[in-house]
Amino acid sequence: MTHHLSPEILNALIDGELTGDQLASANLHLAACPTCTSSALQQSLLKFATVKAGQRYPVPSHLYNRLAGLASQERSQSEVPASRTAPHAQSGPSWGLGSLGWAAAVVLLLASLSLMLFQRAIQRAQTASAEHAALVTEVFDQHVATLAANMAPQVISTDRHTVKPWFQGKIPFSFNLPQTLPSDTTLDGANLTYLSNQPVAQLLYSIGKHRVSIFLRQNSSARESSVHATERSGFHVVEFKTNDLEVVAVSDVDPTRLAELTSALKSAQSGNTQQSK
Amino acid sequence: MRLPWKRKAPEAGPQASRFENLAMPLLPSLYNLAFWLSRNAADAEDLVQETFLKALRGFESFEPDSNFKAWIFRILRNTYLTSRSGLAVNRTVALENELNETGESGPAQYPEGAIDRQTPETNLLQMADRAALQAAMETLPPPLLEVILLCDVEEMKYKEIAATLEIPIGTVMSRIARARIALRTALQVQHTSLRESRA
Repeated sequence: MTHHLSPEILNALIDGELTGDQLASANLHLAACPTCTSSALQQSLLKFATVKAGQRYPVPSHLYNRLAGLASQERSQSEVPASRTAPHAQSGPSWGLGSLGWAAAVVLLLASLSLMLFQRAIQRAQTASAEHAALVTEVFDQHVATLAANMAPQVISTDRHTVKPWFQGKIPFSFNLPQTLPSDTTLDGANLTYLSNQPVAQLLYSIGKHRVSIFLRQNSSARESSVHATERSGFHVVEFKTNDLEVVAVSDVDPTRLAELTSALKSAQSGNTQQSK
Repeated sequence: MRLPWKRKAPEAGPQASRFENLAMPLLPSLYNLAFWLSRNAADAEDLVQETFLKALRGFESFEPDSNFKAWIFRILRNTYLTSRSGLAVNRTVALENELNETGESGPAQYPEGAIDRQTPETNLLQMADRAALQAAMETLPPPLLEVILLCDVEEMKYKEIAATLEIPIGTVMSRIARARIALRTALQVQHTSLRESRA
C-alpha cells in the first residue's frame, strides 16, 4: 500500500458512485489504512451534515400558489377541447324533462359558461402578467449584462445604414431606424441576442453618458399597443408594439428623454418622414 | 409538435397535466437552489418563476424518456447564469483556472494538516453545528456550491449532475472533492478563530 485513496475516489465511495471493481479495491485499501478509513468516515459525516444544512430555504407559499395556478391553468386550457367532446361519449340528456327544467338547465349552462369565461379571462390576464414580468426581467438582465461586460457591440457604427443591413439574414424580420435622433443621442451599434429562444435585435444608444438598450422582436400577437412605461431597480423600461414588432427599451436615463428616443423609433416604424430606407 | 395520436389520447391535456405532475414536486428544490445561488429571496423568486415559464413553454421539446429533474435544473442554472446575480460567475473567468479542473484525480489532496489537526470529536461538533456549516457553504464559489447542493441535497447521481451542469463527469468529481475540502477548511478556520476568541 503506497498511495492513499484520492479525494475523488473517497467522495465517489461515500456518494455510492464506485463500480463493483473500484469498490472492492477501495474496501481492500480501507481495511489496511486507518488514515483513509478516518477520512471516509469524516466525509460521510460531512455529507450527512450538508444534506441537512443545505435544505435551508422553504419555497414561499405565494410563489407556490402562483406557479401552481399557472400550471393548472395550462392544464384546464388543454382540457377544454376534450370536455367539449365529452357529451358524445356520455348518455344523452333526459328528454322527459319539462320546459321549466330545460329553461333552468339553459340558465345554469349560461351561468356556468359565463363563469368559465370570466375565470379564463382572469387566468389569461395572470399568465400575460407573469409572462410580461419574465420578459422585463430577461430584458433587464441582458441590458445590465451588456453594461457589466463592457464589451464592444457586435456591430459598431453610428450609421443606421450600417446597423440595419447588418441584421439581414440574422433575424426573421426587419425594422426602421430613425433618421433624426433627439439631441445628445447617438447610435453606438447593435447586438444579435435572444429572448425566450427568439432572435432579437438589441440596439445600443447613448443619451449623454447614459446607455440605452432597445430590444426589437417579432410581435407574435399581431396587435398594436400604446407606449407603456414601468420602472425596475431604478431603471426605466418603455414598451410598445406595432403590428409587426414588439419593442422594449431599458435605461437609467431620465424617462422623458428615453420616451423621446422610443417615440422617434416608433415613428420610424410607421413610415413617416423619419423613416430610414 | 403534437402527434395526431397524442390528440386522440383519452386523458384530457396529458402534456400540461404531466408537466404539472413533474414540476410541482420539484418547486421546493428549485427554490432552495435558486436562493443559495442568488443569495436573496426576490432574485430567487424571479429565477424560479422564469425557469418555470421557460419549462412550461418548452415542455413539448422535452424527451419523455429523459430526466426531467436534470432538464428543469439545467434551465434554472442557465437562467441563473444570464441573470444579474449570475453575472458575477460569468465574470470570474479566472475561477476555472483557479479550480484547476482537468477532470482527473490530479494532485488534489487535503490541505496539509486539515485531517491531522482535527480530531473526530471536533469534527462531529462542527458538523453538528448547522449554522456553522451553512456559513461555510456560503463561502464556496458558485461552481462548487451548486455541485455540492445537487449531489448532497438533491441526491443526484454524478451522471445527472454532469447533464445538469453540462460538464464532464470527471469535472463533477473534481468539483465535489474540492467543495468538500473547502467546506472542511472553512469549518476548521471557524473552529480555530472561535477557540482563539475564547482564549
